[in-house]
Amino acid sequence: MALRTIRVMGDEVLSKKCREVKEMTPRIQELIDDMLETMYQGNGVGLAAPQVGVLKRITTIDIGDGPIILINPVIIESSGEQTGSEGCLSLPGKAGDVTRPNYVKVRALNREMEEFEVEGTELLARAFCHEVEHLDGHMYVEKVIGDLYEVECEE
Amino acid sequence: MTQVNLRELVLSMLLSVTRDQAYSHVVLKDVLDNYQYLSKQERSYLTRVFQGTLEHMIWIDHVLNQFSSVKTGKMKPVIRTILRFSVYELQFMDAIPPRATCNEAVKLAQKKGFGNLKGFVNGVLRNISRELSHISLPGREEGEAEYLSLRYSMPMWIVKEWLGQYPVGQVEEMLASFLQEAPTSIRVNTSRISRDELIRRLAEEGIAAKPHGELPDGLFISGYDYLEALETFQEGLFYVQDVSSMRAAHCCQVQQGDTVLDVCAAPGGKSIHLAELLSGTGMVEARDLTGFKVGMIRENIKRSRLTNIKAVVKDARVFYPEDEASADVVLADLPCSGLGVIGKKPDIKYHMTQEKIGQLVALQREILHMVWRYVKPGGTFVYSTCTISRQENQENVSWFLREHPDSCLLEQHQYLPLEGEQDGFFLAKLIKENYE
Repeated sequence: MALRTIRVMGDEVLSKKCREVKEMTPRIQELIDDMLETMYQGNGVGLAAPQVGVLKRITTIDIGDGPIILINPVIIESSGEQTGSEGCLSLPGKAGDVTRPNYVKVRALNREMEEFEVEGTELLARAFCHEVEHLDGHMYVEKVIGDLYEVECEE
Repeated sequence: MTQVNLRELVLSMLLSVTRDQAYSHVVLKDVLDNYQYLSKQERSYLTRVFQGTLEHMIWIDHVLNQFSSVKTGKMKPVIRTILRFSVYELQFMDAIPPRATCNEAVKLAQKKGFGNLKGFVNGVLRNISRELSHISLPGREEGEAEYLSLRYSMPMWIVKEWLGQYPVGQVEEMLASFLQEAPTSIRVNTSRISRDELIRRLAEEGIAAKPHGELPDGLFISGYDYLEALETFQEGLFYVQDVSSMRAAHCCQVQQGDTVLDVCAAPGGKSIHLAELLSGTGMVEARDLTGFKVGMIRENIKRSRLTNIKAVVKDARVFYPEDEASADVVLADLPCSGLGVIGKKPDIKYHMTQEKIGQLVALQREILHMVWRYVKPGGTFVYSTCTISRQENQENVSWFLREHPDSCLLEQHQYLPLEGEQDGFFLAKLIKENYE
């Protein structure tokens, strides 16, 4: 496993549409492991493959209840509304308010390329939306209400 | 995606108080202002863990030292701080599972570059969480002062100082009061709205308000998240002010048309109260040392919409001949050790020293001596502090009466902290004799 370099907003890879994963390969398994490690190292709750420079529809998420790997994820259901702060490893030190659905259901493939569905509310629903948008070249800043805040922490 | 790490924020807040000597109330206010987007629960978690850890820090260190081979004094500041607020969570926050507290502490230690101390943090906290109900304090019979100091996390020198002045029971009541959750006390801007009407308006905003038993303009409120966001606050219908400050203004007993001088006025709460008590007549001059402080006063005056009050930058230690014998009432609410407001500003108990009190006494005397000259013959002089210190209070008054034969003491009273509803403070009211 290795840490990968996180691409920062402005890098054009972040505004491109990612390709679907057709088959699992050892390289993709390695990519997923690296993404998890990179996400944990950066204290992120989610990371999408383009954030480490790979244009594949893969995201890793862990809001504290264990890792969720989504390959070719599609949001198939959403409802409700929540407005709250959100940040991104590709825009360090900043956060902003974004309105998201409060409930989201995702269909995706797991590491064995088996289809599954997963639901989430609140933070998890937010993370699903945030990461899936990365796969289409979008960042949360496009949706921020008002200004971005500085969230630097000393040390 | 990322999320604000609340514990990381608490860590940096605590370090800025314990290591960088910042004022706890300023640190808290800055963070709450900067992180307004956090949810109400997140904001109250931050407030509670930050304040609570400072309030109980001596007890917390006592606990840590029973379980850690490395004593708190020898720990790295980051690790010590993580352990401190984690012990606070374990002991006082039932809603957080102990496992979560331990895991988060370990993760944070690692994140801060102390991966090699993960095992230490984990071991100490897990032991404490298992044994917490068996942790004992030294018995009272072995030393009252030591017991009180640990039980209520009050430095020994302060406990001893108070035990020298008050009976044990009373000292314990005071110490307990500092640890009680205090409702916010507010003063109704009676020139704009009646107390009953404000209670009704607050209820509309979802805020419960309870009138103060004695003071006609005092209210206690609870149940708000961010006070500054309330409409009633923005309209200037009330001020956040401790009961003791309200008493100071009432103690001045201003008469219509009086000229009043408040010599150390920032942020201006008492001056504005005095201007209100004058019902639009007379003039209150609110002074302070720096442009920054006077700026705060001006902002508050603006919100109050009063016209019989002005703020000026003037140094209370300098004599301004043009002001001699100009004021009917002079209020000297002077810089003090603040031992009466430890409930709200827990950093004070760790930062104050006997030596600093000595310096404060000298400063207080210098100012008292100077501003006395602004009182008209026959005029009133009120000296107040927010501390419980014989040297700064009663002894300063005795000194003053000896130095100024034209002064006459009408009353002095040391108020003690009361069930979290009132700070400890001191008021002395003097009259300048009129020899004509």
